[in-house]
Amino acid sequence: MKSTTLSSEQRERRVDAVVSYSLLALCAAFAIFPFVFMLSTSFKSEAEALSLPVRLIPKQFTLQAYSEMWTLKPFALYFWNSMVVSGVTAVLSTVVGALAGYGFSRFQFRGRTSLLAFFLATQMISGVLVIGPYFQILAALDLYNTLTGLIIAYVTICLPFAAWMSKGYFDSIPKELDEAGLVDGASRLQIFFRIICPVAVPGTVSTLLFAFLLAWQDLLWALCLVSIDEKRTVTLAVAFLVGEFVIQWPMLTAASLIGSLPTIVLYLFLQRFYVEGLARGAVKG
Amino acid sequence: MRSGHAWHDRHLGYFFVLPATLMLAAVLIFPAFITLKASITPEGGSGWNLTLTHYQKAFRDPVLWQTFKNTVAFVAWSLAGHFVLGLGLALALNQALPGQTFFRLVALIPWTIPDVVAGILFRWVLNPIHGAMNPLIRMILPSFPAEFQWLSSPTLAFPSVIIANVWRGYPLVMVMLLAGLMAIPRELYEAAAVDGAGKLRRFFHITLPGLSTIIIIALALDMVWEFRRFALVVAMTGGGPGTLTEVLSTLVYKTYFQFFTFEYASAMAILMSVVLFILSLPYIILVGRER
Repeated sequence: MKSTTLSSEQRERRVDAVVSYSLLALCAAFAIFPFVFMLSTSFKSEAEALSLPVRLIPKQFTLQAYSEMWTLKPFALYFWNSMVVSGVTAVLSTVVGALAGYGFSRFQFRGRTSLLAFFLATQMISGVLVIGPYFQILAALDLYNTLTGLIIAYVTICLPFAAWMSKGYFDSIPKELDEAGLVDGASRLQIFFRIICPVAVPGTVSTLLFAFLLAWQDLLWALCLVSIDEKRTVTLAVAFLVGEFVIQWPMLTAASLIGSLPTIVLYLFLQRFYVEGLARGAVKG
Repeated sequence: MRSGHAWHDRHLGYFFVLPATLMLAAVLIFPAFITLKASITPEGGSGWNLTLTHYQKAFRDPVLWQTFKNTVAFVAWSLAGHFVLGLGLALALNQALPGQTFFRLVALIPWTIPDVVAGILFRWVLNPIHGAMNPLIRMILPSFPAEFQWLSSPTLAFPSVIIANVWRGYPLVMVMLLAGLMAIPRELYEAAAVDGAGKLRRFFHITLPGLSTIIIIALALDMVWEFRRFALVVAMTGGGPGTLTEVLSTLVYKTYFQFFTFEYASAMAILMSVVLFILSLPYIILVGRER
């Protein structure tokens, strides 16, 4: 009963699936292999990590590295530092960025287009352009080796991005909401805080989390603005472990994984927002 | 109604935008000017006694040229890798096959870990004695040297760093292209199939044109990011052996904080930023145009 065209279509689809699955399996192996090896090392003892032959599955599972990292190095302190720095940075840049985003989204004023382009261009700047002066200025202000200094630096990275991201989100909220508020006699500020902000909560949360991630992952600024152990962030501490004369791989891999936990969870959770934010121009096209 | 608010609104717009603008001016523009000034100040000098010697030195500096070439190769190969893997995976994932969610999550893993950790991870995998790479290769190719030193090899250190960076960066391109693919209406494909268009025709006449904008945006953005890449290189090789895997951001960092030649480092930073600005123009124009 089946016509020949249908079966050829089915065959084509089967070939597609085979090709796709082979590609997916190959890439999945490439994607996961280094990660799995790291995971496996973190469950090995120091002796086993350095014994031959190299095994992918530990002969003896141990949580030693995960328990020792807190006492051999003050990782709780590093975590606290990262939390404080990333948290404050996220809140600060999201609030100021949301104000700017609302301004760009709702008002026409002279210089708006150039200012928007300026905010976009500052996202593209590399930290190394200003890292030298930062070092001098923070030293002069007694902010070298402080978390405050790091926060100031991270706001630099996060603010332009937060402004653009929230502008995009405010753009997606209908202007009729504002206009209804105006008709009811509310002021622009009241409209922003009482009407628009509550609607913008999902967008604001994602901006907040992205700013947090950006600060959490940084190495360059932390490397240049912090030289004492007590003020190290997790990423910086991990980078320093690599530089040590004898690298304790199980501890290093365990610390790296624990330090990556917030980013792993947040990225998987936020991927869709992220793409939308980056590609908004394209999708709207 | 609206015209009555126009005057008021114009000023309120500034009010909303001002805090962010002032903060950016203070934390970014002001330091950038200090860098610019330092780059034309004689070494150890001060005041307004200006010179272009640092720039002259920079253009004659073989290490800087080598690093510039490294960076260009690093960006070009990374972009190529990200695009090929990203597009291939996006096409495969777009077919809604069973198990798609699993593969999608696995493919995303490299993107979710910080750069530093990615560098560490590859450093460990490529460790000549205890890493997993050498035994793995010897399983397939028994004649391969047992303790091959990937990251000290003059020929393979740089490709290793690039592969690590391809690993780190392809998921972003993949998710962007996947979002683009999902936005192409299914009816277009169905109509083309009815008209008897084959797979290749459909790919070149529907898929690629539908994706072109997002491909350009993804690569334009990726180019800027790879050009600035720092932590992965620092954690993986630190720029070595010698300066073979040095990229511009690590070189500027070292010139500031290890060689302590502040003025020369500033000149390098300015030059790097000029190139970076030119590279970011495509993205700025593409995304800014719509506003």
